[in-house]
Amino acid sequence: MMSAVELTFLAFAALAVFSAIVTMTRSNPVVAAVWLVASFFSVAVCYVLLSATFLAAIQVLVYAGAMMVLFVFVIMVLDVDESGRAEHRRPSPTARAGYFAAVGITVGFLIWVLTGTLARQYVTYGPPLELRDFGSADSLGRLLFYDYLFAFESVSFLLLAAVVGAVVVARSRRDREKEAVLRGFAGTERSAAGLDPDDLADEVLGHSPVPAHDFGAPSATGHDGGT
Amino acid sequence: MVPITHFLYLSAALFLIGTVGVLMRRNVLIILMGIELMLNGANMALVTFSRMWGRLDGQVFAMFVIAVAAAEAAVGLAIVVSIFRTRNRSDVDDLSMLRD
Repeated sequence: MMSAVELTFLAFAALAVFSAIVTMTRSNPVVAAVWLVASFFSVAVCYVLLSATFLAAIQVLVYAGAMMVLFVFVIMVLDVDESGRAEHRRPSPTARAGYFAAVGITVGFLIWVLTGTLARQYVTYGPPLELRDFGSADSLGRLLFYDYLFAFESVSFLLLAAVVGAVVVARSRRDREKEAVLRGFAGTERSAAGLDPDDLADEVLGHSPVPAHDFGAPSATGHDGGT
Repeated sequence: MVPITHFLYLSAALFLIGTVGVLMRRNVLIILMGIELMLNGANMALVTFSRMWGRLDGQVFAMFVIAVAAAEAAVGLAIVVSIFRTRNRSDVDDLSMLRD
């Protein structure tokens, strides 16, 4: 007879693996992202079973919340290919054979190593926990801010660098050209930076004869189109 | 009680599915999701060993992994946006500028 904990583990582990497989096999990235959320939730339940309650909350907040919003937002903004046509394009029979051979060898080695090590593991239930609040925000925060303070600060710098890098990388070429012109860089300097050396049209810089903020006179029935 | 090894099997399965997805798929977004799955499998192993030894260090490492994964997703998606602007595609097959 299985206990409730075992039943919970089996159900959510199966759900995690199943939704992970579905994530990797969908051709539509939006559907894949939703299944990935299901996988993250199931993993969070398994964290709770390992008495990592705070980490489970973090998992739901950061992974299933923030990161998935980022993914879905990018997918929606980009108008990506949802038909999965790219998956069926293969270079040549030889390249295809080598490709599948490489995948097979990699997966085979992984399964071999993982089962070889796991099957020899000493099955333990873990020692009785000394900390009463094992995995709580309190005990985790104490460890984080005393023993791992340097790593914590490094991670905050890493996040700052990632945010700045993401903004710089994702800016469009037009935006960068606009800013270069507005800052008064000469044409040769702009071409050295890989930008268009020609001056941009006046409308781009906001010098058009009609001010961009002139939407016409307000009307009682609503916006009438402006100028 | 659930044996520790069962959690490790789950961790290995998640890592394996993520690896196969990264190797097999052509869509950059799905490849990024595969990387997230692999990081999740690694996290699972860290938390499992943390519970096994009764020490919290593994959970702190898992938190660091989550933070790094968030940074990686942000930069990776920014690169995807940038690629999409120039190529209008999001397949890894189209990204062979360095090879050619």
